[in-house]
Amino acid sequence: MRIPCPYCGERDAHEFAILGDATLTRPDPAAPDAETRFHDYVYLRDNPAGAHEEWWYHANGCRQWLRVKRDTRTHAISGAVAARADATSPRDAA
Amino acid sequence: MADHPSHDPLAGVPFDRVPPAGAYGVTGEPGIVASTADEPFIALVIARNGHAASVAGRLSRAFGSEVADRPRAAITAASTVIGTAPGRFLVLSKTETDLPGTLRALLGAEAAITEQGDAYVAFDLAGDKVPELLAKGALIDLDPRVFRPGDAATTVLAHVGVTLWRASETSWRVLVARSLEASFTRFLIASGAEFGLRLDGRAPGRG
Amino acid sequence: MSAPNRNRLASGGLIDRSKPLAFSFDGTDYHGYQGDTLASALLANGVRLVGRSFKYHRPRGIFSAGAEEPNALVELRAGARREPNTRATVTELFDGLEATSQNRWPSLALDALSVNRFLSPFLGAGFYYKTFMWPASFWEKLYEPVIRRAAGLGRAAVEEDPDHYEKATTFCDVLVIGAGPAGLMAALAAGRSGARVILADEDFLPGGGLNAEAGDVDRQPAPAYAAQVTAELASLPNVRVMSRTSVFGAYDSGTYGALERVSDHLAVPAPFQPRQRLWRIVARRAVLAAGATERPIVFGGNDRPGVMLAGAVGTYVQRHAALPGQAMALFANNDGAWRGMLAASVAGAHVETIVDVRTDVAPALVAAAQARGIRVLTGAQVIATHGKTLRRIEVATATGRERIAADTLAVSGGWSPSVHLTCHHGGKPAWNETLAAFVPGTCPPGLTVAGAAKGLFGLGACLRDGAAIGAEAAQALGFAVPAPDLPDMADEAFALTPFWHVAGSKGASFVDLQNDVTAKDVGIAHKEGFRSVELLKRYTTLGMATDQGRTSNVTGLAIMASLTGASIPETGTTIFRPPYTPVSLGALAGHHRGKDFRPVRLTPTHEWARAQGAVFVETGAWLRAQYFPRPGEKDWLETVSREVTAVRSSVGLIDVSTFGKIDLQGSDVGAFLDRVYINGFAALAVGKARYGVMLREDGLVMDDGTTARLAPEHYVMTTTTANAAKVYQHLEFCLQALWPELDVSLASVSEQWAQIALAGPRARDVLARVADGDVSNAALPFMGAIEGSVMGGVKARLFRLSFSGELGFEIAVPARHGAALAQALMQAGAEFGITPYGTEALGVMRIEKGHVSGNELSGQTTAGDLGFGRMASTKKDYIGRTLAARPGLTDPDRPSFVGFKPVDRARRLRAGAHFLKLGAPPDMANDQGYMTSVAYSPHLGHWIGLGLIKRGPERLGEHVRAYDPVRGEEIEVEICAPGFIDPEGVRLRG
Ligand SMILES: [Zn+2]
Repeated sequence: MRIPCPYCGERDAHEFAILGDATLTRPDPAAPDAETRFHDYVYLRDNPAGAHEEWWYHANGCRQWLRVKRDTRTHAISGAVAARADATSPRDAA
Repeated sequence: MADHPSHDPLAGVPFDRVPPAGAYGVTGEPGIVASTADEPFIALVIARNGHAASVAGRLSRAFGSEVADRPRAAITAASTVIGTAPGRFLVLSKTETDLPGTLRALLGAEAAITEQGDAYVAFDLAGDKVPELLAKGALIDLDPRVFRPGDAATTVLAHVGVTLWRASETSWRVLVARSLEASFTRFLIASGAEFGLRLDGRAPGRG
Repeated sequence: MSAPNRNRLASGGLIDRSKPLAFSFDGTDYHGYQGDTLASALLANGVRLVGRSFKYHRPRGIFSAGAEEPNALVELRAGARREPNTRATVTELFDGLEATSQNRWPSLALDALSVNRFLSPFLGAGFYYKTFMWPASFWEKLYEPVIRRAAGLGRAAVEEDPDHYEKATTFCDVLVIGAGPAGLMAALAAGRSGARVILADEDFLPGGGLNAEAGDVDRQPAPAYAAQVTAELASLPNVRVMSRTSVFGAYDSGTYGALERVSDHLAVPAPFQPRQRLWRIVARRAVLAAGATERPIVFGGNDRPGVMLAGAVGTYVQRHAALPGQAMALFANNDGAWRGMLAASVAGAHVETIVDVRTDVAPALVAAAQARGIRVLTGAQVIATHGKTLRRIEVATATGRERIAADTLAVSGGWSPSVHLTCHHGGKPAWNETLAAFVPGTCPPGLTVAGAAKGLFGLGACLRDGAAIGAEAAQALGFAVPAPDLPDMADEAFALTPFWHVAGSKGASFVDLQNDVTAKDVGIAHKEGFRSVELLKRYTTLGMATDQGRTSNVTGLAIMASLTGASIPETGTTIFRPPYTPVSLGALAGHHRGKDFRPVRLTPTHEWARAQGAVFVETGAWLRAQYFPRPGEKDWLETVSREVTAVRSSVGLIDVSTFGKIDLQGSDVGAFLDRVYINGFAALAVGKARYGVMLREDGLVMDDGTTARLAPEHYVMTTTTANAAKVYQHLEFCLQALWPELDVSLASVSEQWAQIALAGPRARDVLARVADGDVSNAALPFMGAIEGSVMGGVKARLFRLSFSGELGFEIAVPARHGAALAQALMQAGAEFGITPYGTEALGVMRIEKGHVSGNELSGQTTAGDLGFGRMASTKKDYIGRTLAARPGLTDPDRPSFVGFKPVDRARRLRAGAHFLKLGAPPDMANDQGYMTSVAYSPHLGHWIGLGLIKRGPERLGEHVRAYDPVRGEEIEVEICAPGFIDPEGVRLRG
């Protein structure tokens, strides 16, 4: 499988480490139901057959964390963006 | 049919020692010449949030080469600046004795500077067969028609993390973590033996 | 040697008669020619019996002329290079080749175990399932040894493989798989466009079917046309022709696996050449032009040596000028086979009889055969064969039965497109009624099929289709493709009547020749209800041999379909998985075998440590000094105890460069550290270091280490050796994905700094002689961290840290100075008897001191379990805080960290022993926890341990049992506080 790193270009999956679901947001630890929410954040996962957004870390490359859109049935990858690219304070705001 | 001894270019070389300088593999004019250098001065520049373009611009002006925020090597006689990640640049200099100090003065609060002069051993590889040798460890396209002079990549070669770039039409440089010098050299010898590989000793560096 | 081969035509073929090659088979010497395969050379020498079958030890001959071969499997070469199950049909002949038949004892001609034939009623379908159900103990003692001796394949070499293998990756625009007519034209069309093209072909001679074609192409013999196209391809700089290269798998994202047999056609690889090379080919587009495989008709005695696929007969005659026999017959159901036999007849083969199941064979074809003196029997079937190797065939016609002399029977039941690679992404082939064959279904993205592989069985059609598909592939990538110049070829009509199995056969009728599966076995599977194709395969082993059922799958399906009355597509499809042909493990490993299995990291002091006599140990990728034995020491324990004693009484040094080291810079580093460590770091002063514990988000401990603040916005963190990469990755995740707004930059400096720990009461005295500045207790107090220099100007980071419990320092210098620092410290400490120590002594001292390490940071322990509960800040959030508060992780009954001493001080403790209350039976319900680490403490003079036991800290002084069923030991131990030495920390603050 090859993953299109926005910085490095298309690279073999051997260069990456996967973390799983990239659609989850770390809950607010101050929320009254924080424990429940963290439980869901850490343990509850959908297992979609089809489109999925996953965290992949380009360990043997630019060391960026990427959100990769992958079809779990075909391994077809429709895109990848860096975690920072959609951050509130992107690297290249200036 | 008696078993013929196989030609092992690494026969007798301890696996936990950098193989000695010399000629390996087929005899005659070597297809590959490899030499290692303690690159005198290396520093990592990390642009702070929002300053990547500005840092690239300042590096361009200071080093007299086109530094961009992408995987390219900007090469002059005295320096090379390589993009390794967004907003990250490895600066190699032959002349700046206090490279981190120079860079701090140049970039001020726009970047964090980390000295890396001892983190790497630089391999210089020359010869027509270099792309064929590297293809035995690389997972990226190093075809000389595609990977042009000035192109750079941070990737793996034979499971060793490297930053490599094509310095000219006929020469390639590979930065390898110092602790992996022996393993990486073994890969070069095993893979380059069919072309004939000459390993030159460590070029004199700083210390 | 130069005498002509017995069955060799005087002229013709693609062999070089001026280059004879000597070879031996089962000890007899023969010769063939350059251009032969082992199979063609054996046939030319009249060798027809080449092996015994897997299960019944039936005599077998050469059945095909390609990768599909189920019978002619031999042991190739001898000694360390002996390679079993090598297909003679794809083995390129070389001078000195040595081959041996398999599965026979004592000899090929007289095989004692062929009695298995008479056991065949017992060895039939479901044999393994039915026979060995009970009792289980019989399997190891009786069944397996007997079956192993009786059935089986060849013998692997027992010596280490002397050859070298390698792996490589290459990229192209268009990968063309197969260099037959379609593949050559596809490569030519794409190559002329300027696209980067790779043409991979498993044969040693490009051309595929063209090399066995009797007619002309483009006004020249077909093989000459193939050579002409190949020459043009070779002349194009953007085209790479890879012969002897099998593309064996289609993987994700246009990645293909291929095996190049670099030296398999040589007795011994040329100097420094690999035996084989495994290629990873990344292609933007691929054209599958793998051709088709002929399939047999199943009839009685169809495995007798001399029965051969009709196309193979054509190949041996046309390409190798080798006659499989002297009196040939054909048994077929299609016109193509007739044309091939007529061409063979013209070339000089003695074709005497044609038997066709059809009654409506085209009159022109019948006339052409008869004009060559061939007897034609239509509406007829071969029902049996006779002879040790084939002598006679028995034919049933409308009028009766007849025995006809023939030493070679060419068989053709039609053709199966080689769809294998189209299935590798889960694509299912589709049944085509007209062709009576499976054709490609859904293909992997970017792959299109051309020529016979998609069911085009005419030469002209294949050439045209190849050109069109190759052009299409290049055009899709934006390359301009000039109009291809195609040879003008008219195709003969395709005419075939599906026919699979002669129902009225006499004798065993084999469907799968390699696994000895008969038509009767398929019938048994049907009768016993194993009717779906998947069950049929597993119950009978049909198609599960190394040939993957190339010549048997479809026939087996068809026979099952006729038994159930269902159609073939209703019965199932045949799916193929990688690899298309076997791949050796050596090729998969490449350079990475033995000590090169994976890269090894060496510390900056590795050579120095070796000179000191170190014994090294692998810790992760690192090689570290484990201990430094001295002459006269009787075992490692004596050495390690000496090292520990030296440190505790004077001073020692150890390389700790393997710790992960991360520089953190920016205005938010303090805030960031507060979020990743359980304890507070925001208030850490410049010049100070602090021990920290990191959790995973699930509340369990991930790692520990110290972080020092070198400047207001510059910190350096250390991690454990084992977790260095994991912690760095975690920190980057926190910064990039969770809190990108933080101003923190991370840089790994693990390789930049060599780090040496100096420990013992004399440590400061030694350091003072090496450091350029003041290292007094005032200048560098406990947990101090300063930047300075050593050895007269070498930049250094000095930390006052202790893992051993002694007065300790860690000195970091740029890595190239690491060895010099070790030497300088040794020199400076000589008068104190400074002692290098290894990881074992380090481990002993940390256990004596009661520090946790990898065994305790097991991924299952909480900060509370390890005694860090009070370190956890309640004033801030940090990774893992919320879930660490869950009841299950705060249960006071959890096993918690304490020390252990044997009650009988003479006894040795064992890590991994489980704790039980005195008198409690050893079962899970009574499990109280386990011993994580043990050491012999030279300081105390007995073994000590660390471990996790329920409510440990509340039970100090209590006696429990340490139960070790693995070693059959049980020891009474006393629970104690985890610090065995200097619990007040006087030494390290000294
Ligand atoms: Zn990347």
